[in-house]
Amino acid sequence: MSVLADPSCVDDEALRADRRSRLFAAMARDGLDALVLGRPAEVAFASGARQLWTAGSRPFGPACVAVGATGRVHLLSVSDFDVPPEVGHDDLYGLSWNPANLAAALTAIPGLADAQRVGTTSSSPGLPRLLAAAAPRAEFVDGSGALWAARSPKSPSEVDRIVAACGIARAGLAAMEAVLAPGVTERDLLAAYLAAIAAAGAPTPPSEGVACATPTYGPVALRRIAGREPIEAGQLVALDAGGFFRGYEGGLGRTRAAGGTPSLHQAELAARGRAAVEAVIATCWAGATGSSLLEAWASTGEPLPPEPLAVGVGLGLEPPVIGSGLGAGTVLAPGTVLAVTGWVAEEGIGGVLERDLVLVTDGEPRRLTEDA
Amino acid sequence: MRAERHAKLQDQLAAQGLDGLLLLGTSAVTYATGAGAPACDSGRAALLRMVAVVVAGAEHPWLFTPWPEGAPPDLPAGHVGPAAVPDTVDGAGALGSALADLLPGGARLACDEVPHPLAAALDRASVSLVPAAGVLGPAKLCKTGDELACIRQAQHVNEQAMLDVYPLVRPGVTQTDLSAVFLRRIVELGAEQNGIDPIWQPMPLSRAGGPWTVHGDLAFPTPSAPRPLVEGEVIWVDTGVHVGGYASDFGRTWIVGDDPQPTPRQQDQFARWRAVVEAVLAVCKPGITALELGQAAIAADAAASGGRRPWIEHFYLAHGVGTDSAEMPMIGTDLGDAFDETLVLAPGMVLVLEPVIWDDGAAGYRSEDIVAVTDDGWMPLSDHPYDPFVPA
Repeated sequence: MSVLADPSCVDDEALRADRRSRLFAAMARDGLDALVLGRPAEVAFASGARQLWTAGSRPFGPACVAVGATGRVHLLSVSDFDVPPEVGHDDLYGLSWNPANLAAALTAIPGLADAQRVGTTSSSPGLPRLLAAAAPRAEFVDGSGALWAARSPKSPSEVDRIVAACGIARAGLAAMEAVLAPGVTERDLLAAYLAAIAAAGAPTPPSEGVACATPTYGPVALRRIAGREPIEAGQLVALDAGGFFRGYEGGLGRTRAAGGTPSLHQAELAARGRAAVEAVIATCWAGATGSSLLEAWASTGEPLPPEPLAVGVGLGLEPPVIGSGLGAGTVLAPGTVLAVTGWVAEEGIGGVLERDLVLVTDGEPRRLTEDA
Repeated sequence: MRAERHAKLQDQLAAQGLDGLLLLGTSAVTYATGAGAPACDSGRAALLRMVAVVVAGAEHPWLFTPWPEGAPPDLPAGHVGPAAVPDTVDGAGALGSALADLLPGGARLACDEVPHPLAAALDRASVSLVPAAGVLGPAKLCKTGDELACIRQAQHVNEQAMLDVYPLVRPGVTQTDLSAVFLRRIVELGAEQNGIDPIWQPMPLSRAGGPWTVHGDLAFPTPSAPRPLVEGEVIWVDTGVHVGGYASDFGRTWIVGDDPQPTPRQQDQFARWRAVVEAVLAVCKPGITALELGQAAIAADAAASGGRRPWIEHFYLAHGVGTDSAEMPMIGTDLGDAFDETLVLAPGMVLVLEPVIWDDGAAGYRSEDIVAVTDDGWMPLSDHPYDPFVPA
């Protein structure tokens, strides 16, 4: 059990240094002189800075630049608030609305002008021209391989943080369980969840799609947008909580019956869901393929869920994505953390969602979510 | 509202001779399709994506989404596909195949982001790309009546929730305690999403007492933490929630205390802020340029400030709001006076006015009020008290 405190702060120096050395090593292996990063989680990974959280995905732009020759990480940040000391004042560049000013800031980054090979983790139609101004001699290539090589295998310290994030998620789950009763709505459950993770000091949710009441008659679908209809006694309600600890994501999903004990049929469905998830978790060994996870699920006789069966977890969601027609060829590497999500449904009974986090190792898979 | 937005996008595609629009950014997809979605962390939203495709001449957009329940009811079933995963090779291949069915070979598309695997798939189909901003920007600039109603409703939910947060701004309460109450209330009041980690930033008395900045001006906004509030602290509040896909933008200055009373100097900061807003609104009408609005703001505070611009160096006097929390028109940015001179107010533009009065040694005052430009002036979209400050 983790004893880590302070979910919303700049992380420890040792962890930051380890991540940075992994990133520069991966860049060197891929022959990248510089790597341009844009998405918030990768910027956090490279810089260690704690930046303002906003929901949703924004188009890619150069928010952080790692330069191999200097070993420095340059960060788009107006201030040094919650920027760790290894990213110095000289390494910060300000927010610009004017592309000419952004280009000038990038041009001033030492070592970029001489770069021959620059990776970007994503791109946009305007990006090559912007970067060409700062790195006129460079060839621009896909740098996401280097990024994921650095990010995917988790250190023990990173796993500790994911476990701590599961603790925050558990607080969110408990708050929903406490509120769940006939007459409340999915939105009431979401409100309780958000208040609980904020009270735990980490207000940003991995997703607001945390509660799904399933019908006891007619077709059963997994939904993630909270509704305003009162939940009726006897409905199975999927509660899928998440949380962040210093940027690392945790989560667990469990299904409860509104108003008390599930019926015999519901208990049987819940047992089927649990067994199917356990079958997948049991295959999460290093070297296993996406196909083997999908086959483990199929062997239980349950139809494949609508959402991916397994998705990488670290600083938020990561590759691989296995299921929903994707990822059969993935080969699991040690140190990868996967969220395994199972969903089974039966007309007239309802739906059951179970989600657990598992660490892939060379030996037995390690479940990071305790039973709840 | 969705049909009106679709028509605007089609007009832009036609005017620019483009075959279509490929959108990956969350707010852009919301604009193009009207799709509902749970708020998600950026990493999740980028990996298991919503994607919108607008094909020139087509009656409806196409939506790829992890949340089919959020597809608008008028979108034909054939226009809704599964989540796109363009960051992975097989996911990008699947999206590329879907696009090939919708678009002619060698299509010319406007696009906001292309992950490398998707770029490879599009390259194989000889698709060429131009920035989506050229299509989205003009379409989004002036809001329809329905869009204004959504912004007003989002703002109303945000403001109502703040009525319950404000009494808690006392010594010992943490920033994240305030977030807990706020987030609970916005959901209870009908917000569809929270858009940003709520900001409750304690301001230093002087610039030098705050975090170092690249330009020497203020650091704002900074993220929240379980940090207790201290008696007498000046707190700058900034939050945003979404209703109907549209964002609110709430900004106020509060003082920590059981019964906070602004000092005369603080009350004077507020009076200066009000004077700037009133001066801007006095000239706010169609035909006025953004540069003229900025000049009115500077002139209104010149006696006290010596002509310094009454807004934060890295931001603006005002910005628009829509499916993005900050979008055009932006007034007073580093795009410069020449840009602002070309930006002419028109009916339907939304202005979030956020001047800042900084009174070094005694912190400062910042709030945000929202107006929409009308045919002959402006109308308010926000309505919230300035407590503990009292309008003169």
